[in-house]
Amino acid sequence: MRKLRFSDATRTKQGPKAPWLAIAGGALMIVSGLLSWSYDDRILGDLSIRFFPAGIQIYSMLFGVIAVILGVLLLRRPPWLSPARGLRILGITALVFLVWVLGSIAYQSDGLINLNEGGWVALVGALLITVGGTLSPDVEINVLTWPRLSSTLEILIIVVLMAVLLFTVAYTLDIQDGVIFASFLVALIGLTGGLLGTGFGGYLGFLAANNRRPLLLAAFVVAFLFPFTQDGSDANMSIATQILIFAATALGLNIVVGLAGLLDLGYIAFLGTGAYVGAMLSNSAFATVGWKPPFVVVMLVGAATAATFGLIIGSPTLRVSGDYLAIVTLGFGEIFRLTMLNLDGTNGPRLTNGPNGIPAIPDLNFFGFDFGDVHTVAGIPLGRFSNYYFLLLLLLMFVMLVFVRLNDSRIGRGWVAIREDERAAEAMGVNVFGLKLLAFSVGAFLAGLAGTIKAHQDTSVTPEQYVFLESAFLLSAVVLGGMGTVMGVLVGATILKLLPEKLREVNDYRLLVFGLLLVVMMRFRPEGLVPSKRRQLEFHEDDTELVELVQAEHLQESK
Amino acid sequence: MDQFAQQLVNGLTLGSLYALIAVGYTVVYGIVQLINFAHGEIFMIGAFGALSTWLLFFEGETALWVLPFMILGAVAASVTTAVLMERIAYRPLRHAPRLAPLITAIGISVFLQEFIRLFYGRIPFADFPDAKQRVPFPQIDVVTGPAFQVGGVTIQRSALFTIGSLLMCAAGLWFFVNRTKTGRGMQAVSQDPDTARLMGINVNRIIVVAFAVGATLAAIAGVAQGLQVTNINFRMGFLAGLKAFTAAVLGGIGNVWGAVVGGLTLGIVEAMAVQFIPGTFGGSPWKDVWAFVLLILVLVFRPQGILGAKVVDRA
Amino acid sequence: MTVTETPRSASEAAHALVLEASGVTMRFGGLTAVDDVSMKVHEGEIVGLIGPNGAGKTTFFNCLTGMYIPTEGRVTLNGETLPPKPLAVVRAGMARTFQNIRLFANMTALENVMVGRYCRTSSMALTSILRGPKFKREEAATRERAQELLEYVGLAKSTELLARNMPYGDQRRLEIARALATDPQILLLDEPTAGMNPKETEETMHLIFKIRDSGLAVVVIEHDMRFIFNLCDRVLCLVRGSLLVEGTPGEVQSDHRVIEAYIGGDDEEEESA
Repeated sequence: MRKLRFSDATRTKQGPKAPWLAIAGGALMIVSGLLSWSYDDRILGDLSIRFFPAGIQIYSMLFGVIAVILGVLLLRRPPWLSPARGLRILGITALVFLVWVLGSIAYQSDGLINLNEGGWVALVGALLITVGGTLSPDVEINVLTWPRLSSTLEILIIVVLMAVLLFTVAYTLDIQDGVIFASFLVALIGLTGGLLGTGFGGYLGFLAANNRRPLLLAAFVVAFLFPFTQDGSDANMSIATQILIFAATALGLNIVVGLAGLLDLGYIAFLGTGAYVGAMLSNSAFATVGWKPPFVVVMLVGAATAATFGLIIGSPTLRVSGDYLAIVTLGFGEIFRLTMLNLDGTNGPRLTNGPNGIPAIPDLNFFGFDFGDVHTVAGIPLGRFSNYYFLLLLLLMFVMLVFVRLNDSRIGRGWVAIREDERAAEAMGVNVFGLKLLAFSVGAFLAGLAGTIKAHQDTSVTPEQYVFLESAFLLSAVVLGGMGTVMGVLVGATILKLLPEKLREVNDYRLLVFGLLLVVMMRFRPEGLVPSKRRQLEFHEDDTELVELVQAEHLQESK
Repeated sequence: MDQFAQQLVNGLTLGSLYALIAVGYTVVYGIVQLINFAHGEIFMIGAFGALSTWLLFFEGETALWVLPFMILGAVAASVTTAVLMERIAYRPLRHAPRLAPLITAIGISVFLQEFIRLFYGRIPFADFPDAKQRVPFPQIDVVTGPAFQVGGVTIQRSALFTIGSLLMCAAGLWFFVNRTKTGRGMQAVSQDPDTARLMGINVNRIIVVAFAVGATLAAIAGVAQGLQVTNINFRMGFLAGLKAFTAAVLGGIGNVWGAVVGGLTLGIVEAMAVQFIPGTFGGSPWKDVWAFVLLILVLVFRPQGILGAKVVDRA
Repeated sequence: MTVTETPRSASEAAHALVLEASGVTMRFGGLTAVDDVSMKVHEGEIVGLIGPNGAGKTTFFNCLTGMYIPTEGRVTLNGETLPPKPLAVVRAGMARTFQNIRLFANMTALENVMVGRYCRTSSMALTSILRGPKFKREEAATRERAQELLEYVGLAKSTELLARNMPYGDQRRLEIARALATDPQILLLDEPTAGMNPKETEETMHLIFKIRDSGLAVVVIEHDMRFIFNLCDRVLCLVRGSLLVEGTPGEVQSDHRVIEAYIGGDDEEEESA
């Protein structure tokens, strides 16, 4: 985290005044929400009316509220928070936010002249916040001094936070305009960044660590409740199911890449195997195999086929160097795609219908529960995508279970040892090849499982859905989000699937940004956004501060 | 017999292309143990560099004397890209775990492809065509045109250009690696960079040179490809790059002559597979599959490749 | 393996043949790093392996444990020939430490030792996912055993320290604990006191005696002559790949050829110890 370079002397001298600057800045931003921002009322959701804040003005007010809170905290100086850092993050993000918003307004209304006072007031406010934060000394947050509250209170905090999360997610998905969405994202980053930077992030982690079960339960309840917030609309549910499938697959890849440290660039082929098996054994008019077993069997067959391919591919190649593995798996991915393309009766036995694939795959039907139908629960209609959503949520939970349990076992330890020093691990009796093969096959199994569901959800399967770029996306979700953690992959998957949907105006530049993102991430934060501490250490071997921090946390946890 | 000879010629042509690109992979891997995944894009950029040079200075002209300038343009474009890549993206990651540079390479690869696709037609001050679809490549006299007939075998002029380029580049490479100070420095660094540094060799510079050498050959391959196929597109680097890497491994990774031998072998195997593998799994749709199968077989049964790998195990 | 110590008399101990290496030769292209070296180790023996730097001692260890595939020669453990595969060697009961400490740096001391238990436990994927009673029992046993071993080597206070944060001497002891976790019958220690001060060296010596007393055989590569003299029952001296002399510490130490090899008769043999 970058610290702005002011000497402590300057800081303490300005000390007494700084919090008031921040509070003043915050107040200004709150006020700005009540003012008019733009002359033209068609821009960005009508920001022209006074005392009637709309989206962006509300974000500005939120910035202000948090700034005031942090400013007050700065006055009180609790030893377990560093509001100065939080204010800096808040301030800088607010500036970025405003530049973006004001720039967009000016661009869409042809000129800065059309910006009304609201935007400028907010800008001044943001500046004051930033200055206030810069001029205040940072506090070294001592990990051991967080207070513990009564357990009911802690659980209540968790529930409230989860509810906020649910609301935020529903709100996010509802935003239609790309520019507003981007500004909301920036605002969100600023607000959470400001709070986390102050130290609440550490507290949240502390809270989570001590309340694992309630947290997990709350998270799943929230996830299950999500479709009910959609008011019967299936549009967002479609995106949500895409995200879920992607996340479940990426988490499977996380076992291969994040835990065992194997670079698999052809993972999409396993997903495709499951999908094709699902399609071939379905009731589609184009299905090429005569056997039509119940879906549970199909799932198992699909997963087992994928796992078998994993074994076949893995056995020869996992003995060779990791660099080669990447290229070989890529080759296999291509072999899969080409084979699916060619088995159309002329170039090979008619199994996959070649480039046209297998369309018209009917919806699943479990004991009469037709996934294609709308079911009304508690007065709220849940459409097709909502049905698949629940099934996929179960899948995700299963994959998470497998991930966590394997990680925290003899096998998980073996994988870490392999990542640390493969030859030493082998010299200590770790079956390196066996564990690598296991990771590979389990990953393949899970992908195959996901694939069988995907076939029904997409209603068609074509070779073009399983190109290398998809493997690259999956890998990016793991890498970007954070190797070796569940949360990280979920974050990564959500970002990668959600952003292109919401930022449609810039859809064409999607891949360009994606490529750039990979390069930048590897340069500055190779362990991902939400990494496991261990992975962070592996990537930053020379960072002594980090080592001490992790050690201290470790010692605390084991008490 | 005619068939065989024809496919042999086809194979050598294809193989020369692979060989030119493969050298880039193998040289970089030998020195920094990095699979420069984006090397295929260097090849593509070379082709576009040649095209741009032609469009900017020689539009309409197809006489032979234009060709050297096009090649220069290609080399300039490729080398610049490669050197920038090394400096900006790879050098900071020199000591990071292997995953990081590999993923960076993938990112660069995607970025370069998209960059050309989106912005080639919009480069200011130049009137370049949009690169979202295939773009026609100028067909230079003498190296394109009616094919030669030798015996029963058809030999395209562009094929001769490709094979000829490989021969010349191979000769140049041999001279460079064995007879120049920098070339010998490269050999030293790929064996033991720390000792090389102690001997006064500027390791960073050598690494840049390695990237540049690979890029030069890839650029020439790009020109050859453009002449042969009559058009270029932003995706041409992906599959070619993959095959070229296969060739590099086939011949022995880290070994420059291995790249050449591997490339030619792969080309010939592919051509023969197209013609001679009978039944439903033969022919053109399956040729890529066979290329990859060959890669896997090599890695399993002879990972050091045909001529033996030249990478020091740093584990 | 029990942790109790029963002092043994020299005559009782050295009978059952545990390890036998015959005619082990290692050639790298034109260079012969190890030339026809044979060694026998009996139960309860502490054997020392000395020689100037570059004499091939670590290479010899690598050949014994399968990290290198010897060009010639055979290694048997308890009469069974060992294939040159590290995994099989460890399972058969031969464990080692490394000259330049190869711990799992970002794992804690406890985790490092728990990894050593891998080859003696058997929970596989399905068991780990289902978490039945067998899994829980085995995990608890692994953890307990690892704790035990850390106490045994004197690192009871350091269980949660990351390996990379431990002092040098402690790291060496951790490596020994990790090797012991594989339940070996014979332990190969590669320069266990390198970089240690006299007090730490003394403690290491006592630890090795303790290990010997619990029934293991030990082979030690070392440069510290006094250490070898006080510790070992027998000593082998390797020079430029071949076995120069074998005998009791007294015999070997006073052999003029050994002295020459270390201090240097000719210019050619000048070595840094």
